[in-house]
Amino acid sequence: MQKLSALILYVAFSVCLQAQSPVPLLTAGNFGVLAASTVTNTGATAVTGGLGLSPGTSVTGFPPGTLNGTFHVTDAVAAQAQIDLTAAFTNASGRSPSTLVAAEIGGTTITPGVYHAASSLQITGTVTLNGAGVYIFQIPTTLTTASASLVNLTGGATADNVFWQVGSSATLGTGSTFFGNILAQASITITTGAQLGGRALARTGAVTLDTNTLISPGGTGPSGGGTPPPGVPAPSSVILVAIGLACVALYQGRERLLRRWRKI
Amino acid sequence: MMRMRPALVAITAVALVVCYAPTLRGMFEQWSSDEDMSHGFLVPIVVLWIVWRERARWRALPAEPSWWGLAVLAAGAGMQFVAALGAGLFAGSVAFLVSVAGAVLALGGFAWLRAFAFPLLLALFMLPKLAIVYNQATLPLQLLASRMAAGILTAVGIGVIREGNILDVAGRRISVVEACNGIRYLLSLGFMAVVLAYLADTKPWMRMALLAAAVPIAVLANAVRVAAAGWLPSLAAGAPHAIAGWFLFVLCLATLVLARRLVNRVYARYQS
Repeated sequence: MQKLSALILYVAFSVCLQAQSPVPLLTAGNFGVLAASTVTNTGATAVTGGLGLSPGTSVTGFPPGTLNGTFHVTDAVAAQAQIDLTAAFTNASGRSPSTLVAAEIGGTTITPGVYHAASSLQITGTVTLNGAGVYIFQIPTTLTTASASLVNLTGGATADNVFWQVGSSATLGTGSTFFGNILAQASITITTGAQLGGRALARTGAVTLDTNTLISPGGTGPSGGGTPPPGVPAPSSVILVAIGLACVALYQGRERLLRRWRKI
Repeated sequence: MMRMRPALVAITAVALVVCYAPTLRGMFEQWSSDEDMSHGFLVPIVVLWIVWRERARWRALPAEPSWWGLAVLAAGAGMQFVAALGAGLFAGSVAFLVSVAGAVLALGGFAWLRAFAFPLLLALFMLPKLAIVYNQATLPLQLLASRMAAGILTAVGIGVIREGNILDVAGRRISVVEACNGIRYLLSLGFMAVVLAYLADTKPWMRMALLAAAVPIAVLANAVRVAAAGWLPSLAAGAPHAIAGWFLFVLCLATLVLARRLVNRVYARYQS
């Protein structure tokens, strides 16, 4: 009986240990885009969340890009965010135990946990992150997503709890849809038409944008399941037809109504 | 000239209602429970009103009963038999309309059937959903509404991320579920297009033209409705959401009226 209790306790403790906590972004989490050298935009990019740059000074392309948030360019706020980003990067890279994944994870379904690639990581097609919890991807070199690829969040997965720790640079392919927090050692390039539900945080390089949509989670963030988002049902068809018949009756009787109105 | 006997018509009508009582009850239940098909309550009222409106025309017609009417009635009965064996409510409803057409033909002949052709075709709008067709169409319609709504929001400068049929607008997510797929707008506007064409225009092809025009108008209006709900949280639920939906439908009708005027103008120019 004692051995059984000890076994149960051990299993429960192990499960608790394996459930990872989110990487603490601290003030870096206040930004949808954070870069070190430059932020360059082409086209009608829409960014929701702060845009920070430190120690660089050049932010170009806003407008035509739009920011629903605050610019922090070469100020104390951006500088602190870079410090916090460095700490977050180190935190993510040190997480263990981790599971080795293939260089190409497109077409796979992944559950919460810590994963590491041997060198680079590629996403072609759809990768599904299924389940509520923290996902940490440790990528020694580059992260690349193919054109029209998709990171699909299901089963309660949320963008705020997905972390892509990239040893060099990240590139999101044209028209792709990506979720999560990109913590890149060097640069982040979000190519034409790509969408990011998360954050693009570059430690030493640039963030380059081109007609993108970036929405930072803002703490709660986009989620991929659990309680489904509310629907917006159309009005009942009997009401629509009743309104339609009333409008038609008014339209047909307009001459008669106008004559009556003129007499008054 | 042979005239239709009112008593015979009344007996035939009662017989049809009694024979198809389970089907009619099923249709009534679907109209009550399915908001996509609830317009079915109003369709028979409009059909009967049109018949009443045209009473002078069909009263002047001589009654020339045709044996073909019995053949059509037999076909309707056969369809109802198949429906009772498990083919479903849709087959039974079609059988009912076929039987009504057969009764008109049997009692009044082809001239009467021609006179009642439009009301009978209009009655197609009260048929229940055909599940096979509906299930195939609903997801593509949901995705189409999602794509169009995302495009509209992007075009007006509002950041949106679309994942399938879920729109993420500044961290707030809405779902384009089955009830948002636009079928209600499509069926309601299609019905109104045909009624409008009947009342406002004598050209028979105008009914088909307006019915065809109703499809893109309804699809676009539904996408605008979804986009507005995504943009403004106040329009996503409650009374403002309902009122916005009704208002958009009135705009759709106005667009149909304009479309009719435009087609008429082009037709007049072509004729001259």
